[in-house]
Amino acid sequence: MIPDSTAASVLQSGLVPQGTRVQVFSEIYWVFLGLGTLVGAVVIGYMLYNAYKYSYQGGVDEEDRPKLGEVPTGGGKGKKLFLSLGLSAIIVISLIAWTYGTLLFVEGQTGEQGVDVEVEGYQFGWNFNYLDDGEYTGVNTTNTLRVPVDTQVNLYVTSADVFHNFGIPELRVKTDAIPGETTETWFEASSTGNYTAHCYELCGQGHSYMDAEIIVMEEEEYQDWYDSQNASANNESAASVAAAGV
Amino acid sequence: MTDDNQPRTDGGTATALPGDSHDDDHLPPRWSLKRWLVTTNHKDVGLLYLATAMFFLVFGGVLALLIRAQMWSPRAPGTGVLSAMAYNQAVSLHGLIMVFWFISPFATGFANYIVPLQIGAEDLAFPRLNALSYWLYLASGILVFASFFQGASYAGGWTLYAPLNIPAFMPSIGATTTVFGIVVFCASVTVGGVNFITTIHRMRAPGLTMRSLPLFTWSWLLTVWMMLLAFAALLAAVMILLSDRMLGTTYFAATTAGGSVLWTHLFWFFGHPEVYIVFFPALGAMAEIFQTFSGNRIVGRKWFIVSMVLVALQSFIVWMHHMFLTSINLEVKTLFMATTIGISLPFDLMVFALIYTLIKGRIRWDTPMLYAFGALVLFIVGGITGVFLGAVVLDYEFRGTYWVVAHFHYVMVSGVTGLIAGLFYWFPKMTGKTYDEFLGKLSFAVYFTGFNLLYFPLFLAWGTPRRVFAYRPEYVGWHRLASVGAVILGIAFLLIIYNLAKSIVAGDDAAANPWPYSTTAEWAVASPPPIENFPGKPSYASGNLEFLDDGATGAAAADGGTAATDGGHAALESGHGDDHHVDHASLWPAAIGLFTVVTAIGLSGLQVGSYPEGLEGLFYQGTSVLGVLGLLGSITAMGYENFTAHEGGLGEAWPFEGVENTKLGMWVFLASDVVLFGGFIGAAIFLRIAYGWEAWHPIPHNPIPGLVNTYLLLTSSFTVILALVAAQKRSRKGVVASLTLTFLLGLGFLANKAIEWVVLFSEGTGLDASVRASTYYLTTGLHMGHVIAGLLITAYLIWRAWNGAYTDGNDETLEYFGLYWHFVDIVWLFLFPLFYIV
Repeated sequence: MIPDSTAASVLQSGLVPQGTRVQVFSEIYWVFLGLGTLVGAVVIGYMLYNAYKYSYQGGVDEEDRPKLGEVPTGGGKGKKLFLSLGLSAIIVISLIAWTYGTLLFVEGQTGEQGVDVEVEGYQFGWNFNYLDDGEYTGVNTTNTLRVPVDTQVNLYVTSADVFHNFGIPELRVKTDAIPGETTETWFEASSTGNYTAHCYELCGQGHSYMDAEIIVMEEEEYQDWYDSQNASANNESAASVAAAGV
Repeated sequence: MTDDNQPRTDGGTATALPGDSHDDDHLPPRWSLKRWLVTTNHKDVGLLYLATAMFFLVFGGVLALLIRAQMWSPRAPGTGVLSAMAYNQAVSLHGLIMVFWFISPFATGFANYIVPLQIGAEDLAFPRLNALSYWLYLASGILVFASFFQGASYAGGWTLYAPLNIPAFMPSIGATTTVFGIVVFCASVTVGGVNFITTIHRMRAPGLTMRSLPLFTWSWLLTVWMMLLAFAALLAAVMILLSDRMLGTTYFAATTAGGSVLWTHLFWFFGHPEVYIVFFPALGAMAEIFQTFSGNRIVGRKWFIVSMVLVALQSFIVWMHHMFLTSINLEVKTLFMATTIGISLPFDLMVFALIYTLIKGRIRWDTPMLYAFGALVLFIVGGITGVFLGAVVLDYEFRGTYWVVAHFHYVMVSGVTGLIAGLFYWFPKMTGKTYDEFLGKLSFAVYFTGFNLLYFPLFLAWGTPRRVFAYRPEYVGWHRLASVGAVILGIAFLLIIYNLAKSIVAGDDAAANPWPYSTTAEWAVASPPPIENFPGKPSYASGNLEFLDDGATGAAAADGGTAATDGGHAALESGHGDDHHVDHASLWPAAIGLFTVVTAIGLSGLQVGSYPEGLEGLFYQGTSVLGVLGLLGSITAMGYENFTAHEGGLGEAWPFEGVENTKLGMWVFLASDVVLFGGFIGAAIFLRIAYGWEAWHPIPHNPIPGLVNTYLLLTSSFTVILALVAAQKRSRKGVVASLTLTFLLGLGFLANKAIEWVVLFSEGTGLDASVRASTYYLTTGLHMGHVIAGLLITAYLIWRAWNGAYTDGNDETLEYFGLYWHFVDIVWLFLFPLFYIV
């Protein structure tokens, strides 16, 4: 493992993409796409070039060609082979190592700050239970998640029945919803608006429609909504306590 | 050689000989249905595999077209070609059928036909087991087919994720039958793996060392090793699943801590090697074709082999990259990210080796080369898009989307493309006919267009979640393009099938060696080869392939070229006059396959410990009984049948020179059994850790019966050794007495166990009482199954010994049984402390 101090200095160097997960993803994705296309074009182009150049054209042949019944052999061009391998290894390893810094950043972020929500998948919908210091607040919603803009939202995702996967594609956040386990992840929306979350693991008949609405609100608007929910939740619990007392 | 326009061999002479006349001393002719039921010849079995796999290609392809029809538009609830459940079945069975019942068996078909020819073996080490693995494969396929008619087939994706896979969430009997199909398929693969490993290690021609094995054989050897170990892990997974479905154990119940994650570990431990299992044979075929059609020996041959070995080893340490979004921690993610990059590097080397082989070649663009070249291009695209998934941060977003779908179709179907290259390459050898070159090239053009139209748009529509049919409208265009591509790719397959079918009926006769620069031994014999393959004993001892006269010590044949040319003549003339008799027919493998289907159909009716009510239940119970009786009968008959096969060890046999075929086969089988038990024991330990190690107490209150059983088994191991000693002393009484004692000790073990279980049941501790009870009953139950199988064999051995067997100097059977029995006892030494004490 990389020591924490090294990790921290790498994270601060500016080389490593950081920011919301949308920014991080798009930066890395475009670099991969650019380099991947380049490497693919070069390699396939080189193949096609050789395929064309060495196509059979008749004529005299000076080479020692394979003969039926010989013991299989083959060699040569070892230098060229390892040079290409080395080049490709450098590209792949440096690309992945570069993204590893971002992985450390993304993984280190959960729960540091912001709003905490438990997400519970079920066949076929999503429950959202707002948390405070890991405790249920009594504010619960189903199939609609309201969050404030420009605030980190920490998700603690689990399942009430089968294996699901909760993901909001526009916000580049996704994690498995596993019965009996809790996975953690986070996102931050940088503009208000409505987004859709999907289930990304086949979970039965209603899988295709197992969506949730994500409503990103202005901070104040969110706070108003949350307070009113919180108040009614407290009233309800007070009422039920009172009812039980009678 | 300057004039390479001319085929170097006048194979016409060889193929003009009526191939069938040579076969009829052992086998019915090819046009007779009976031949295909009883044949054990590797070439026949290879053709059976290829034909059956092609059928499943069409089956899986039709399901794919149904999926693409549903994806034509985003579907509102209740609209579209398929209902939601039908769609889920289509995606699940498309995946299962293509991976298990098409690609691997398709490759197995080539391997069956070509590998023995390439290594200079007259057949596989265990011809009847080879037929058996085919019939078990067919049986498993029939089960999957039947599952559609039992309510509904499996509908939870080909990865069978838990707990959607248990009856609480997927109650149809057909789903159980599908899982049963996978169990039987695993059995088929294990039998096949034992056979090929023994054959390739022990039955090579003199001079054909491991280093000089042809690349297709090398790729297949590594494939079967991976298969043997990976499929044993899958077998553990699906057996546990079957137990959850049929007997009511609770490994994968939603309430079991760790149950879902356990499934992902078990499945992907198999699932990732499976990718290479699928791709390696294609890679081997591509390597052969690149060499033959470019007229160059492969660049960096040694490094190519080293790379394949590395990939085969590394394939077992990358599985968790399929689980980056589960609750595994950062350290584990980092480790598996590193191993994932590690496994990509040998592939880079192999790709470059293939490309550099083209340089200074005289490349002929016949159909096989077009497909092989196309396969490499597609594989490169698949490989590059795979690097994206290796970056964990990107993987987080790609997980469960069409990026993954597009990526693995580029990889897997480039493998299919490579195998189709092999199909055209070896078609003249296998059928003795030439295919239509124009139609072949046309099919490639259609295939390559259809492939890219189908799969490339899926990258562009990658935001679509997998296995849904309601997607965002902005992707409609890409999905429609893909659907059009699917139809075009389907047409390409029809063209291929039409071309080959037409050529079998009306094609020109093929030369023994239709390709100018081929080197491997299959091209040195007639097309198709005679039943005993070679005109003499093949040998590479002089540095070139020669066919030596049977019995002659010196080299009789002249240089390799001549021997190759008129192989057919030599075969007829020498006629194997002084060869010992070898069998090629047995009905019992097919019978075992048939009764496997009957048994599995019967048992599929068993759900969580009980059969359905009324007539349906009677049907399932009756079918189970019939199937089990039939199975026992046909296995016994196969054991009793006299069948002579070729023995290995005459040529190269590294590293198993000193071991007979059957002994090696037994060792290899036990290696897979170790993985099977490893899966079960690992599952129990995994669940115990998730449950809390200390809070988990053994199910039996009293370890003493278990301890007694330990003594009983150890003593019985000793008595098996006594039986072997008695056999060496030629004492019939001694053999019978020792074996009977073994039998009684084993029976004592079972009785003791039965009492323990009855007491536990009466106390209300059933299989479903808790996850502790489930792991206890199932793991020791698996062991008990091994004991029962051992006792059935012991009973058979006693009967044979009573009639005078084993004391005539042929005591190997006792020795091999002893290996098995000692193994079963050793397993108990692990189970006893784990389930009775700690």
